[in-house]
Order: sequence, then structure tokens, then C-alpha cells
Amino acid sequence: MLSEIKVALRGLVKTPGFAAIAIATLALAIGANTSVFSLINALLVRPLPYQQPSKLVLIWERFAAQGLDRIPVSPPEYLDLENQFHGCTNIAAFNYETFNLGGGDFPERISGAVVSAALFPLLGVEPIKGRTFAREEQGEGHDDVIVISERLWKRRFNSDPLLVGKSLLLNGRSYTVIGVMPAKFEFPIPLFGVQGNQFAERVDIWKPIAFTPVELKERGSRSYGLIARLRPEVSAATAQAELDTIISNWIRAYPDNYRGGGFGAKVYPFQDQVVGGMRTGLAILLGAVVFVLLIACANLATMLLARASARERELAIRVALGAGPWRLLRQMLTESVLLALTGAGAGIVLSIWGLDLLKRISARTVPRLAEVNVDLEVLVITAIVAVGTGILFGLIPALSSAKPELTEALKEGGRGSTTGARRNLLRNSLVVAEIALALVLLVGAGLLLKSYTRLQNIDPGFDRRSVLTAEIHLSETKYPAPANADYRGGEAMINFWSEALRRVRQLPGVEAAGCTIVLPLSGSNSDSSFAIEGRTLDPNEPGPDEELRVITPDYFKVLKTQLLRGRFFADSDNAEAAQVAIINDALARKYWPNEDAIGKRITFDDPRKDPKWLTIVGIVRSVRHRGLDVEPQPEYYIPVAQRAESSMILAVRSTQDPRSLTSAVRREIQSIDPDQPIANVRTLDAVTADSIAPRRMSVVLLGVFAVIALVLAAVGIFGVISYLVLQRTHEIGVRMALGAQRADVLRLVVGHALKLVGVGTAIGLVLAFFSTRALAVLLYNVGAFDVATFAIVTVVLAATALLASYIPALRATKADPMIALSHNA
Amino acid sequence: MRMIGLSHIERFFPLAKAKFFYVLRDIDIDIQEGEFVSIMGPSGAGKSSLLHILGMHDHGWSGEYFLGDTAVHHLKAKERATLRNEQIGFVFQQYHLLDDLTVYENLEIPLSYRKVNKSERAAIVADTLDRFQIVGKKDLYPSQLSGGQQQLVGVARAIISNPKLLLADEPTGNLHSSQGEEIMDLFKRLNAEGTTIVQVTHSEKNAAYGNRIIQLRDGWIVEPHNLNH
Repeated sequence: MLSEIKVALRGLVKTPGFAAIAIATLALAIGANTSVFSLINALLVRPLPYQQPSKLVLIWERFAAQGLDRIPVSPPEYLDLENQFHGCTNIAAFNYETFNLGGGDFPERISGAVVSAALFPLLGVEPIKGRTFAREEQGEGHDDVIVISERLWKRRFNSDPLLVGKSLLLNGRSYTVIGVMPAKFEFPIPLFGVQGNQFAERVDIWKPIAFTPVELKERGSRSYGLIARLRPEVSAATAQAELDTIISNWIRAYPDNYRGGGFGAKVYPFQDQVVGGMRTGLAILLGAVVFVLLIACANLATMLLARASARERELAIRVALGAGPWRLLRQMLTESVLLALTGAGAGIVLSIWGLDLLKRISARTVPRLAEVNVDLEVLVITAIVAVGTGILFGLIPALSSAKPELTEALKEGGRGSTTGARRNLLRNSLVVAEIALALVLLVGAGLLLKSYTRLQNIDPGFDRRSVLTAEIHLSETKYPAPANADYRGGEAMINFWSEALRRVRQLPGVEAAGCTIVLPLSGSNSDSSFAIEGRTLDPNEPGPDEELRVITPDYFKVLKTQLLRGRFFADSDNAEAAQVAIINDALARKYWPNEDAIGKRITFDDPRKDPKWLTIVGIVRSVRHRGLDVEPQPEYYIPVAQRAESSMILAVRSTQDPRSLTSAVRREIQSIDPDQPIANVRTLDAVTADSIAPRRMSVVLLGVFAVIALVLAAVGIFGVISYLVLQRTHEIGVRMALGAQRADVLRLVVGHALKLVGVGTAIGLVLAFFSTRALAVLLYNVGAFDVATFAIVTVVLAATALLASYIPALRATKADPMIALSHNA
Repeated sequence: MRMIGLSHIERFFPLAKAKFFYVLRDIDIDIQEGEFVSIMGPSGAGKSSLLHILGMHDHGWSGEYFLGDTAVHHLKAKERATLRNEQIGFVFQQYHLLDDLTVYENLEIPLSYRKVNKSERAAIVADTLDRFQIVGKKDLYPSQLSGGQQQLVGVARAIISNPKLLLADEPTGNLHSSQGEEIMDLFKRLNAEGTTIVQVTHSEKNAAYGNRIIQLRDGWIVEPHNLNH
């Protein structure tokens, strides 16, 4: 075996051009495969970094009749489940929270979470310092303890060994640090497709849950996620059955909270929830890189077939000296496997760079992407793929050479054997296969690109250019929450927003400034139920529950949302004035399809018990909030002056680059309150781009793979046609001696290429027709059989292939007939 | 004892319209152990074709072929290959050394194909290098040798596994006359040591080294005759 390796190495060193092209081809193909393996391994295969993650489940509720799915639970519901759900060993509630961390050189907004004391034991991860929460620390007045992340401990506190036990100022209140969680620990993990914070940042501070008396009374106020650990002997199906029974009991016990039917709760395996939405995309990427690998194999097989023809004499000598077919096979496969392993080594380097770049671009918007790396498992798979690839592309040429025709090959002036015709057929077949596969990839990439472009060009209902956004979370100590459950009061908060906007509007370059509790396309949402004046609530029907936006008067001016009827909010719509609301046209169509909604009234209270009515004063054009590819939902707006909010997003429209306002805005906010940070500063363009980032990732990756496939197919055609010209040099000389012109020779050579391209394209179109169905789920407003895309891609591929064949064809026309005639035919 | 017995050997290629082109017609030859036979004839007579049949490189023939007591015509291709490896060495006009292997490795390779273990191979190759006085060239590649030296290595490789029969196809065809003489002297010595040699040659001078000439013309044997030495 060692001698085979030695001979193979020598052969490759002697032909550096061939070796370089082969290794580069393999590096691209195997590198692409390694990258996708790494993605799949980290995102889908590797278990979540908790103890026995397969037993972890999330519990979400739904109101089917209102089209609400995967919604959080309320504190009373959580407490009931803690007592009643026996299929679990632990059950914990959690919610996102943000903290303004004071002290130090500057205040900082930190992402955090409020969690049950049961959470950390449930997940089974121990702190690296200190401890986690005791049950007694859960609850108002006892919850002045926090656990922080190792990341925050290192970054902000320089890994202070004495930090545990010290106090920190969060939201104006003092908390004692009791523990530090290891860097690998992450909870909650951003969850795709779930109402709430789709692109939440990594949490660095955990605080114990402390339900307020108001929260404990409001069974319908749902904002907490639930995670549970099933008992070892309990399956998800069994747990679901028990949960269904509990829900039935609730519906009977609390009919007012579960009106209208269709209320339920479901158990969701945790891993599935985190990355389940990515399965289809990753499967498509895996298919794409397998295609690229097959194309590379076909390319290399054609190159090795040409090489085998040149080595025919050597192989015949080896047989004449006693080599059996297996020894010859082994010799040739050693060379191809050696090439594949070298290519794999280079491919792994390419993959590491590529993944780094991908993480920098998309880590914020793709869950667990930060965990992706080329680890030992991936290296082992890559090595297996490399060896398999080497055998695959080496096998056809090896088999075609394992039994050479000795007499022809060994004779004086022997022209090679009659296996030449067979090899030509093999080579042509491989190139046809390459073209077909490349076409399929290009069609897929073309469809995704068209879909993405259409998505990007959708009018979201607002003008996303030149707008800066920043999150502001007011501390509850300095800005106390309204005393009433209906959010009225909270003057400190209202005054803050008013003053902040006044100052920001005066900055040079600011056209308009406003605030909202949720930005469109940010992944966050907020909804609330209400009653409509004059419409009796049917106990068997669910009441209206639509998406709620609390805003300042100029918010619509910032987004340039169109007013369809009525008016916008004004400064006079304050706490003393009559309560007002603005609705979008989707809500108007839903609830007042045949009447004018202006002047109609709604209430958050029970309409039978002296409610406070809100009068609809304006109808605005609907905006796309949940996604560019999701039709606008009914929304209604309320002025913050009539419903105080502690967390809002400042939106500033600028006449210049909005990012240039960041420092000035921060300065103005901190001039009102030096301890008040702003966070998550980004333009509205960036918010929109982030909302389609997963699609962008698919488009970019598939596009890259398709381009690689196109280049490889072009190289394949170039190689085959070059070899054809070499083989037919004598024939071309004869033709030219008999009067053939340059154009005739070009026609002869390019004509052959056209035949290969034609057959390959025809097969590719048929394959594409069947395979693009798998893409349909990723496409927006583009059919899987989009004729224009198919046509353009076919033309591009054919043109590239013809260009690749034109160069050797041109070389053939420059041949000297006399030299060509003396060339061995 | 008879080394080779050919009876009614024929080789033809099909042409269009059910016609055939005969390369060899009704060849009957007996070659005894220890003989040095030269096959001569004009170009296209079928000399090399006959040699390749004897060397079992070509299987598309009809008739009977005995190598010693073994009926080659009854053997399958794989069995013939095994027999060839055991009993026959072949010297080519173009030397056919493997360009990527050193002299040492070129000599070693037939032994490796015969599953001789490494230490034994080393010993045999060392002996052969010594015998042919090319020890100093063992690490050189064929491209670094003269034509004569390459053919010398070719002959050494052909006899390294001690074949009973040595076949040579125009062994001096690409050499200078002085180099050719050296090779033919070597053949003479090998024959004197007991190796049966069958060579194809155009050269009367080379044929004179042997003790029998078989003349071929248009695929037929014309006149075998002995040379008295």
C-alpha cells in the first residue's frame, strides 16, 4: 500500500496543473458539504446543552377560534399546572425582561429573563460560581437576587472572583448576585414561529419570578412561556392526554376565560421548537451540496478518464508484469482517494472561513448558529465523504482501465486501445450528467433569488428608509407602573416619553420622532381582547382579540403610514381627554365591513359594567407586521398618554444617514435621565432585513453552491472538448488539407459541445421540474415552475458551456494542417 | 523436453461483409527447452502477433498451444495470466519501463505482483542489480538512462522472477549497434545458463545468435531452419 501511495504522489507532483485543478474542485465541493454538515450537526443533531434534552417540552396554549396559536400562559394557569400536571417532574415559567444596569462608567441595557426557581434544576445545568434561586426567593419582596452569565461576568466585571454576594443596581433597584452560569448555558433560546421575541438577544441576567397581585388575579393575561421536564416513563403523547384533561377542567371551572371554544394547550418537544423551522431549508441545502459533490465527482472522473488514456501504456506494462485487475484498481483508487483527502483538507479550511462569515452575518437571526463549528464529528464525516468521493470519481476510470488490451498498448507505435471509444462515451455521459445537475441547482437558486427579490420589494405599508430605532426600557423604581390594572396613570413614564421626543425632534437632521411598543417586522407582538359597543358577547363565541400598538402621536409621521379616514392622534389626546383609538383598514374591514368605523367605540372592560369606551378617530393603511410575506393583520392603536408603557421603541426619521444620530439621541435621553440607556439601536432598514435574514441565508448559500456548480460544469465541458480536439487533431488536419475553413472546424467542435449541452439541458429541465417542488415552501409569490426562471437559467448555462467549449475550438482552428496530419491518429 | 508446442494456431480479425483478415495461418511450431529461436519475416508477416500469443497477451486465437505440459488453449484468461507470471518473461522493443519508478522499483515490481515478501524482494533485486552490474543506477529514473541501459533494465526485469521462457520483441530495435551487441551477448549468456529464448528480429546478425530461425510471410511459416553453431 505504501508503494501505491508513493507512486500516486509522484504522479501528482509530475502533473501539478491537473493536481491543482482536482484539489481545488474537491476543496470547493467537499468544503461546501462540510459547511452544511456542520450546520445540520449543530442545529438539528446536537442535543441542546441541557441534561436529557429529549425530555424537555414547552407548553403553549391556543385559541383556535381566534386563530391564535402557540401563545404564552398566565400566572394563574402556570400555578395550576405546577400543582396539577403530574406527568412532569418540574415545570417552570419564564419571560423575557430587560434590565438597565447602572453603576460603572455608563448605564447599559442587558437582556434578561424572569424565571421560576425550578428552572435551573429542571435544565440540569449547575452554576460555575455560587447558586441558583431557592423557591422562597420567588415572589414580590424576596426576589432581590440575580444570577448572571459568565459572558457578562467576564465582559462587565472582569471575572471579579468576589462578585457573588455583591449588589448591582438594576432598573434603579439593588439586587444581590448569587450565582454565575457557565458560558455554554443559554435560556431562553430564541424560538422561531412563536409569538413574542423572535430575535431576542442572548440572556445575561436571570431574576426570580415575582407575580404581582394583579397578575395573580388575571387569568387571561398571558405572557409567560412554560418549560417542563417529563417523567422518564412519560411520553409526549401521554403528557398531552393529561394536559387535555386539565384544560377541560379549566374550561368548566372558568368559563368566562375560555369563551368561544377552541381553547387548548399543547406539549411541544423543546429541540423541535428551537430549530424545527429550519429543517426544510437545511434539507434543501444538503441536497444542493450533494449535487455539487456529484458534479465535482463527474468532473474529476472525466479528468481521470483522460489521464487513464494517457496511462494506458503504463497500465498494460503493469499487467504484462503480472498485476491483476485488483492491483491496478488499487493503484488508481489510491491516487483518487489521495486527491480527495487533500481536497478535503483544503475544503475544511474553506469551510471554517465560510462558517465564520456566515456566523457574523446571520448569528443574530438564526438560533444556535453561534454554536456551529467544524468539530470532531464533522471531521469524521468529512473524512468518510472524502474517501467515498475518491472512490466514486476514481472508480469509473479505474474500472475502464483495469483490463487493458495488452497487444495494442504494448506494440511499437501502438495507438492505444479500442477502449478509447468506450472512454469517450463515458466522458460525454459524465459531462451530460454534470450539465443536468448544474441546471437543477441553478434553477433552484434562481427561484429563491426571484422570490427573495419579490419579498424585498414588497411595500410593507410604511417607509423604512432613513429611520433610526432604539429600545428604551424605563426602570420601575424611577417610573412606577400605573396603579390601575387598566394602565391609566403612570405620569412619570408619560412625561419621560414626551420630554424625550421633544428633545430628539430638536436635533439637526430630525424630520419626525415617535414611539411604539412594538416595531413592525421586529418579531415582537402584542395583542389584547376588547369588546365592541352595541355587539352582545355570545358566551359560545370568542371575543375580539387583535394586535395592539401603543404609540405617540407622531409615530405614523415617522413611518409615513397613510391616513385613510379620520385623523391621527394629537397631543390633546391625553389622560384628561376622551379615550381614543385608531384602527387599520384590516380591522375596519373585519368588524365594520359595511359601515364607517369612525366614531365607533370599543372597550377593554366588560361592556356590561360601566366600561371606559375608546372612540375610533382614524383609520390608517395596514402595515405588514408579522413578516413581509404575511398579509397585514387587524391592528389598533392607542396613544401612550392614555395608556402608560415602560418599554417603548423610539423611531426617528432623519434627513441624513440615520445612524449618524445615534450619539446625539443617546445624549438627549441621558440628559433627561443619566441612568437611562438606549439599546438595540438599528435602522428600520436593518429591522426589515433581519426579518428575512433566514431566507437571505438560504438564497446566499444556494446561490454560492449554484455558481460553484456552474463553474465546475464549465470546467467539465472545457476539459472534454479540449480532449476531443486533441484526439481529433489528425482528422482536423485532414479536413483542413481538404479545404475546411476555420468556421467549418469551429462548427465541428462547437457542434459536439452543443449536442452535449442540449442533452444535458433536456435531462436537467426534467429533473428540475420534479425537484423544485421541494422548494415551494421557501418561495414567496413565485411558482415552483416559473417559466421565466427556467428559461433564463437554461440560457445562462448553455451560454457558459458554449463559451467554455469555444476556447479549445478556437485552438483547433489555429492548428497547422501539416503538423496535425503527422500527429498520431 | 518440449517447451512450446503450437498446432494449427490461427489469428484473424473480422472485416465488413463477413470477410476476415488473417494475421496468422495454420502455425505449427515446436520449441524445445534451451533453444534460442528467432522469428523473422517482412513487416506485417505476423511476427509480433505470434510473440504476443506465445506471451499470452493475446487471447483471440484458435488452435492448440502447449506450454510444457499445460494446455494453454484450455485455460481461462486469469489462469493464463497466472501461468504467464510464473513461467514467461517479456522484453519489449520500447523497453516499457515505468517512468515514475526508479530502476530498483522497476525491478521490484514483478516480484511484488507475485506476492514475494519485502525482504525476499530486496534480496532478489540486489542480486539482479549486481548480476547486471547496474547497482550504481538503482535510484535513477528511466529518463536518466541511455537506451541501452534502459533495455538492460528491461531484460533484468524480464528475468528477475526466473522464468523458464524469455520472449523478446525486437529487443535491439531502438538501440545503437554496440548497445545491441551487448544485449544480444547477454541473451546468449542467459541461454547458455538454460533459459529458452524466442526473439522477433529483422536483423540477420541478431538471428545468428540463436540456433534456429522461423520465417513468417503473410501469416504463414515459410521455412524453419536450423543454424549450426
